[in-house]
Amino acid sequence: MDKISFEEIPALFGSVGKLFVDKKEELCEMDAKLGDGDLGLTMSKGYDALPGFMKDEAGAAGGDIGKMLMKSGMKMASLVPSTMGFLMSTGVMEGGKALKGVNEMDAKALAAYLKGFAAGIQKRGKCEAGQRTIYDAILPAAEAAEKIAEEGGTLEGTIKAALKAAEEGVEATKSMVPVFGKAAVHAANCVGVADQGAVAGYYKILGLHNYIVGG
Amino acid sequence: MKKIINAPEDYVDEMLKGIYEAHPDKVKCVADDLRCYCRAAKKNGKVAIITGGGTGHLPLFLGYVGDGMIDGCGVGGVFQSPSPEQIYNIAKEVDDGAGVLFLYGNYTGDIMTFDMAADMLEMDDIETKSIVGADDVNSHKDPKTRRGVAGIYFMFKAAGAKADEGGDLEAVLAAAKLAGDNTRTVGFALTPCVIPEVGHANFELAENEMAMGMGIHGEPGVWNGPLKTSKEIAEESMKTLLEDMPVASGEELAILINGLGATSVEELYILSHDVRTILDAKGIKVYKTIVGEYATSMEMAGASISICKLNDELKGYLDHPVDTPFITQK
Repeated sequence: MDKISFEEIPALFGSVGKLFVDKKEELCEMDAKLGDGDLGLTMSKGYDALPGFMKDEAGAAGGDIGKMLMKSGMKMASLVPSTMGFLMSTGVMEGGKALKGVNEMDAKALAAYLKGFAAGIQKRGKCEAGQRTIYDAILPAAEAAEKIAEEGGTLEGTIKAALKAAEEGVEATKSMVPVFGKAAVHAANCVGVADQGAVAGYYKILGLHNYIVGG
Repeated sequence: MKKIINAPEDYVDEMLKGIYEAHPDKVKCVADDLRCYCRAAKKNGKVAIITGGGTGHLPLFLGYVGDGMIDGCGVGGVFQSPSPEQIYNIAKEVDDGAGVLFLYGNYTGDIMTFDMAADMLEMDDIETKSIVGADDVNSHKDPKTRRGVAGIYFMFKAAGAKADEGGDLEAVLAAAKLAGDNTRTVGFALTPCVIPEVGHANFELAENEMAMGMGIHGEPGVWNGPLKTSKEIAEESMKTLLEDMPVASGEELAILINGLGATSVEELYILSHDVRTILDAKGIKVYKTIVGEYATSMEMAGASISICKLNDELKGYLDHPVDTPFITQK
């Protein structure tokens, strides 16, 4: 697969939604140890509904992937109005902003989406790299994707590089000290355990990967 | 739980239907969403002011939508944020080309909601600015992270008056900021409240106990202890307020004595008198005394005391007429 057409974008995100539905229990269990315990619910509910919102917005967006992403990201926020829900939705919206006027997703567009997604997380969450959050999986993924795409890599090569970087990012969170949420209160329990938000970020990339590469 | 309700999950929407039916000339909903609450009539060319927040605080937030105050309000579930899409839809309705000011309480969920709506509106070339009410002295030492409670009334009043006068978005923002910077609040609770869908009290206070500094969602306060007299409550509250924002003898204030939902107006006037006595003794002038329910917390008993240090500009805003379904000032 070299490019993803406008019409295929809902299916691309459908792959992410399907993965989060499969991982719902696992994410909730991870989150219950260090957070609110509803991470899996937020991620599966939001991403499972996203392709439907995209189809609803497809007509008005008229082939513009960016517009479709922005509007459907906002609808997703209304469905999962929680901190993680808002972070994901902002990611989709900012990723969409980066693709305004784009009609098909190639390697460079995918990298631009991931960079926008990461920027959205950073902007909404006011987080920095190294603070043990989803950003620690997403930012390296976006940077790796950008590097490969700029070097002329394929769509598959780009998402593979992003996935590998996200996986390494998750691993790195095991030695990070949390500064946000309940995890910050239970910092001692976090040592050696991957951040659940970063794992969710990895699954987001994995869902995209599975559609592009086949998984 | 003893409440006049039908199904708890219909609490918010059925309340809204009642308000729209009672005040069809003043307010309406847009985007086929009861929770997108707007003024019935647009005022031409005026900066639009939008607020939003959880249900359970009437007249805050939607009660301030009307002439002389604000233009739209996103209505969340009980103690929950409205959605970004609702704020977006309200802004699309009430903007008349002069831009939109978002003015709301300093709560994480609301901040994210309004920021996301601002992002969407930027795509549509609608200019927005945001400011939060953060007047609750006891909610945090750092003024930036304090919660917004009853004192946000003064910000609505100043921003609404400035917008009516034809001020541009910057000027309306500045008016709100001036009011916010000069306003402080402390609150206290005597009883907890019941969220309809929860069905039982969210914390407990014994019959002879009170909580000082309690937030409007039952957030823990500075202390829980034996119930004090009105005089003692006024003394402790005024000490906290004036330590946080010193007011010199001869300076002027407005005071807002706000009931949290289940405290009688009689009691509020007793408290108001005790506050006034303390200020008189310090030589601080009281330009205006406002007593009643301005930001409640369901049916919590208790009250909050807000002070707003005034200059001529703020006095003018305070005197500006207001007409909403919940508040009238001629």
